[in-house]
Amino acid sequence: MSYLFNTPEDLQQMLEAIGVGSIDDLFACIPPSLRLDRPLQLPPAMGELELSRHMSALAASNRCAEDTICFLGGGSYDHFIPAVVDALASRGEFYTSYTPYQPEVSQGNLQAMFEYQTMVCQLTGMDVSNASLYDGGSAAVEAVLMCLSATRRDGNVVVPASVHPEYRQILETYLINLGTQLVTVPTDDGVVDPDALAAVVNDRTACVLIQHPNFFGCLEQVEAVGRIAHDAGALLVQAFDPISLGLLKRPGDLGADIAIAEGQSLGNPMIFGGPYLGIMACRDQFVRRLPGRIAGQTTDRRGRRCWVLTLQTREQHIRRDKATSNICTNQGLIAVRAAIYLSVLGPQGLRQTAEQCLQKARYAMQQIAASQRFEAAFAAPTFKEFVVRDTEDRVTQLLRDSCQHGILAGVPLGRWYPQWQDAFLVTVTEKRTRSEIDALAKVLADGGRAV
Amino acid sequence: MRNQTSMRLIFELSRSGRGSTVLPPLDVPEQHVQDLLPPDSLADAPPPLPEVAEPDVVRHFTNLSTLNMAVDTHYYPLGSCTMKYNPKRNERLSSLPGFLHLHPYQDEETLQGLLQVLFELQQTLGEIAGLPAVTLQPAAGAHGELTALMIAAAYFRDLGQQRTKVLAPDSAHGTNPASARMAGFQTVTVKSTRAGFVDVDDLRAKLDDSVAVFMITNPNTLGLFDQQMSQIADWVHERGGLIYLDGANMNAILGIARPGDFGADMMHYNPHKTFSGPHGGGGPGAGPVCVRRHLGDYLPAPVVSRHGDRFTLEKLPPKSIGRVRSFFGNVGVLLRAYCYLCTHGPDGLRRVSENAVLNANYLLSRVKHFLPVPQGDRCMHEFVASASKLKKETGVTAMDLAKRLLDYGFHAPTVYFPLTVPEAVMVEPTETESKETLDAFAETLFRITGETAELLHEAPHSTLISRPDEVQAARKPVMRWTSE
Ligand SMILES: Cc1ncc(COP(=O)(O)O)c(C=O)c1O
Repeated sequence: MSYLFNTPEDLQQMLEAIGVGSIDDLFACIPPSLRLDRPLQLPPAMGELELSRHMSALAASNRCAEDTICFLGGGSYDHFIPAVVDALASRGEFYTSYTPYQPEVSQGNLQAMFEYQTMVCQLTGMDVSNASLYDGGSAAVEAVLMCLSATRRDGNVVVPASVHPEYRQILETYLINLGTQLVTVPTDDGVVDPDALAAVVNDRTACVLIQHPNFFGCLEQVEAVGRIAHDAGALLVQAFDPISLGLLKRPGDLGADIAIAEGQSLGNPMIFGGPYLGIMACRDQFVRRLPGRIAGQTTDRRGRRCWVLTLQTREQHIRRDKATSNICTNQGLIAVRAAIYLSVLGPQGLRQTAEQCLQKARYAMQQIAASQRFEAAFAAPTFKEFVVRDTEDRVTQLLRDSCQHGILAGVPLGRWYPQWQDAFLVTVTEKRTRSEIDALAKVLADGGRAV
Repeated sequence: MRNQTSMRLIFELSRSGRGSTVLPPLDVPEQHVQDLLPPDSLADAPPPLPEVAEPDVVRHFTNLSTLNMAVDTHYYPLGSCTMKYNPKRNERLSSLPGFLHLHPYQDEETLQGLLQVLFELQQTLGEIAGLPAVTLQPAAGAHGELTALMIAAAYFRDLGQQRTKVLAPDSAHGTNPASARMAGFQTVTVKSTRAGFVDVDDLRAKLDDSVAVFMITNPNTLGLFDQQMSQIADWVHERGGLIYLDGANMNAILGIARPGDFGADMMHYNPHKTFSGPHGGGGPGAGPVCVRRHLGDYLPAPVVSRHGDRFTLEKLPPKSIGRVRSFFGNVGVLLRAYCYLCTHGPDGLRRVSENAVLNANYLLSRVKHFLPVPQGDRCMHEFVASASKLKKETGVTAMDLAKRLLDYGFHAPTVYFPLTVPEAVMVEPTETESKETLDAFAETLFRITGETAELLHEAPHSTLISRPDEVQAARKPVMRWTSE
């Protein structure tokens, strides 16, 4: 086995030093009745060459965004990743290190965390960021849990149906054990009607969670919703799309108390859903309720500026069952990737990316809607994705046929919204070219039959 | 030799107007942004991110990386974290374009290769655990704990039983009680004996019909296998409760003993530990959960299943707890674990654990003579020494030893965990280290115990910075850079 070191001589010397006759003796502490009395039933070992062949064949049998044209979104996006991100993040000193519990030999990670936190604050207009959570969905649920404790209200949590359906499923999974009700406000027009939302927010509401741009790509009236929440003594959590902030007002400027996001789009491949990045930032007053690790600035004994993990008394290894969360391992490397990505883009690069997404998505919508068969499902303005209604109501077949022609045309909505079996979500990132968009419009107009 | 600008923050390198253009010109007809989006939704300016040139970014982050210790550069005997070698082939093979560029909402028909990997991984993890129903969704060990506890909560709700408590030993990792709380349970701590095992009298006194789950780490956080395991499981089961096994220490028993065979009903793995997924400076990890067949109906969705030679994603089984994260899970980490498992096969996995336990016992045999190991002179894959006596005699603490080791080019062991051992120094050598390295580590540690207290209190001396002032950091927290 190539990763092991011990030679037969080493083994003998080590056993002698320990004072046992065999390796088996070292396992004498496990009663025979509790041991496995047969080999594991697993395929035999593969050498590197065999494994490479095996994995390459499996990978090649998938169809991916590199050999198709991808218009899929809904929280995972085919944005461009500059080479710098992979080159830097694949340095062993980053990816083979552990949590910076020994700051003297972890300044690289700590400083990168501190820079990431700063960039998240710059991006969101919030006061503080943690060093990452697992993904957008777990950031959503952690934000809601923060609100339950900050408001000391556990009656209900209000969420428009335009929030990512998986986030809402996660919330349901968690909240059922805490006795808090999840109240879903319908969004028949693709956005939430503030009056309808106001009708269910009450003095037992801990928070309203709104997504802007929402799951359908539509812009919500965040400030109006925030006022409703705040008037009732509840908090406002906003889920945002990091790329959209190249153009849109920031959560901090819209009145959000906590801002959360899926950070995959900041320099990370789609890789079927993970590892991704849970972004979370909040206002100063909630900092002691933030879950997860935080890097903080301090000085060493010689007065030099340096970084450490700080406010650890919030965390599980100190506070155990009173901790703000159970999170330990986070998404450190993905946060570093996000920091590198944002450094490469800078404010202008982010704006340019956001603008191209907007322009191309709008162009795509116009091209698709040129066909009699399709129409935009909602009137609300959209950013980089939009919902298309198929008046012939044959979405499954249409998408499958488009795929045959090498175009991943969209995400069907029916699986989460039974009333919208005839609709699908189309996403256009800056990577898509005019000719690709034209090909999409054509394949759809032709009913998925030809390009 | 150190680059003097490397400690500057990237924001301090920023100059207005500097930066790189990344995109080709827009190739669709441009429309006025103001016409596309409501003016009051638009920001006046983009976020004030740093403005740096690409070469700046490269030099900055490359220099930062060199300020870290890492498995690729140093011996890292960090107890409980299993800092083993992270095979390069796993990095390459998990990053093949056919995996990297898969969108989570692609049609199953376009994903058969990936689904096969994930299905086989479920099978393999189930076989190693002796617990056949598997979810790959949780994003880390703690997330796996929480997932399993939510499964337990749903199971007891179904049975119409009001069980409000989760028991966990005082030696348990902090995530155990924290996860229990998040799943809506009250945690009750069970004492450990002086020998480091579960105090069964205390356990039995606390075990009643309100207990949903007993969480146990076995081998435990002292690196000892608790032989009372099956007896404990019997007691818990007689009372209708479930046993959860914290699988952080699976590196000791791969192919040797299976949690499902020794009484556990549910467990998680930490593939970023046991199966060599790199730790990434704190993450990402993964936290697959394996449960007994009758609990399988409660697993979060999606789970991969096989029908003939096709693989499908089961959306939401009727009793499923729902979802614990978005999309499928930390697939990149799971792919690495799969590569690791394929590389080893059944014999190789057993040899991993044999060598991990051999290395730990060898190091223990050398260390115990100068740094007492309260819980005996045998261990599994790790052991916990105590600097308690040293502290009494000289004032030198576990932290001092840890810091001084850094001067000699060793990453420090885990200190002050588990909480049951005063001045704990928790050493996990792993199987991917040589006897020479273990000898050098033991000799260095021995040498340090003979150094003066003054020297040790001020250690480390040779690192880029000396000990940071953590009190100041917490009292007046500065968690972001500002331009003032
Ligand atoms: C014993 C033990 N249990 C649980 C955990 C939590 O796992 P994770 O950090 O992957 O969430 C850890 C590791 O950090 C651990 O050492």
